[in-house]
Amino acid sequence: MDDYLTDEQTVFDVDDVNKIIKDTLETVIGENSYKHSRVNQWSTNVVEQCLLRLSKLGKPYKYIVNCFIMQKNGAGQQTATSYFWDNSSDGSCMVKWEKDSMYVQVSVFGLAI
Amino acid sequence: MVEVEGSDSYLIRPNHQHKFKPTIVKEYIHEILRERLSGVLYDPESVPELTRSLAEAVKDKVKNAGFDKYKLIVQVIIGEQRGQGVKMSSKCLWDADTDNYAADVFMNESLFCLVAVFGSYYY
Repeated sequence: MDDYLTDEQTVFDVDDVNKIIKDTLETVIGENSYKHSRVNQWSTNVVEQCLLRLSKLGKPYKYIVNCFIMQKNGAGQQTATSYFWDNSSDGSCMVKWEKDSMYVQVSVFGLAI
Repeated sequence: MVEVEGSDSYLIRPNHQHKFKPTIVKEYIHEILRERLSGVLYDPESVPELTRSLAEAVKDKVKNAGFDKYKLIVQVIIGEQRGQGVKMSSKCLWDADTDNYAADVFMNESLFCLVAVFGSYYY
């Protein structure tokens, strides 16, 4: 049967995903400063648009997109992620984006079906 | 002629006992956080190790709870409490019948800790 997936389609392409995340962040947040009233909307939009663009890639993957926005006021912060998955086909991409007034971190996890 | 990969079952849906149960996982997270973070102060030297070990601990506990055919992702964020605004949101493109997530937050006077566990069924 010829329509089984070939190897090129089951690799998580980190560069593509990286680009998608960065573009989405530029579009949604751009040069804005942290505003408590708009944070909800920004984080929802970032996550939604990332997911839309990821699904357009047409790969046989399940995606989990996570967006973390924190106001900068001198506080420290640490993130750790632990996964139990298949290293050959699954992957993740984390983008840290720093502005003057806030700190944004977007993580995308792709799990092969 | 159909070729099938060697796998020991053809279950495309988990049966009820093996389904990812968010309430149980949330309990586990809550317990681990309460045990390991009560009374702990935010210290920039020790926090990286703490977040890593928390992520491993939560992952091991959930793995041993019997969700056999699930791929797991555990994310732990520890931040210092200084009155700043924080927002975390997630969206997933997956099979809503079989996949799920559980999340919990722990706060004390000097730090806050967010843990999110995502479970995705491996067909």
